[in-house]
Amino acid sequence: MQSVAHFIAKILPLLFAFGFLVPLIMQMMLALEITPPFGLSALVFALLVGGSWGLFAQIKGRWI
Amino acid sequence: MHQTVTVPADVSNMSEAELKKLELKIARKYSGMFPWMIVTWGFANMACWLALWPLVMLNIIPLWLGFILATINMALVYLPTHDAQHDIIARPGQKLRWLNELLGHATSWMLVYPFQVLRITHMDHHKHTNDPELDVDIESHAPGPWSAIWATIRGRQPNAKRNRDYVAALARAGREDLLLVTLAYKLGYIAILSALAWNGYALEAFFLWWLPYNIAYSYIIFFLSWAPHHGKSEGRYKDTRGWRSTLGNIGSMGMQYHVVHHLHPYIPLYQTPAAYREMLPILKARGCELGGRD
Repeated sequence: MQSVAHFIAKILPLLFAFGFLVPLIMQMMLALEITPPFGLSALVFALLVGGSWGLFAQIKGRWI
Repeated sequence: MHQTVTVPADVSNMSEAELKKLELKIARKYSGMFPWMIVTWGFANMACWLALWPLVMLNIIPLWLGFILATINMALVYLPTHDAQHDIIARPGQKLRWLNELLGHATSWMLVYPFQVLRITHMDHHKHTNDPELDVDIESHAPGPWSAIWATIRGRQPNAKRNRDYVAALARAGREDLLLVTLAYKLGYIAILSALAWNGYALEAFFLWWLPYNIAYSYIIFFLSWAPHHGKSEGRYKDTRGWRSTLGNIGSMGMQYHVVHHLHPYIPLYQTPAAYREMLPILKARGCELGGRD
């Protein structure tokens, strides 16, 4: 139980990124009528940006 | 008020014991009453914030207005929790103890912390104020206001020292069991934000909770932690200062008088200015820094 909790606590940045950040980026783009570059869909773009940011936070231990 | 306390303008001739007795007498005068204002404030504030969700989602009010109101709600949420942490509504064994605990729990979840964690870590802060090793709020210390705001942002990063200090405070209290509850709160928060976001309400979740929470967190730490303890050392009359806020007493959440709270934490928030004014000759005699508030 403790090791599961420890693992979950460690991956909170990734959970936040894929759970919240990705759909947030996607919906912000739609609201601001921003077209993703390179012909990417909004979801793929959001996954790339949100996922990378989450990975950065996961590895570095900070979002900024 | 319970009683009349006469404080001489000049207390320089009073002995240590007399000063202590007089200070205590004033503190008692301003404590012990039922703080209806903070109880109403806590529950009304929570109700207002919860009401914003349907109001925004049903397009009754615009999201920008919801964001402004939510930020105010989030900024106002900590002080009722804080009074409940100090058992100001009711102490253990008193008839209204349940209300004290209910208020604490009902408000702390909005800040994504279990009430007991806030209480234990805050009591630890009172016990070890400004101790570089043991004060859980030490990370909010900064040389100036801008660096203090930056410190509040740094303090909620995944690898923040504050996280480790909180864990250490819980360990000192023998309450490591609360780490699991804290994790459940954090997971629940992410789960709610995620559920809203993946169901098309990401902007609402962002502007009604995430962003207001983060703005309010900086505001709360700045005024409750940085400003009253800025440049102070350790010791009963040395760890907190009186100061003047450009935002006034309401805008700084009454923290100009935080020195009284650290001396007598059982005085309700809204009574601290009056207690401060009455204690002023004693505070001066004790050598407290009053920041021109004398």
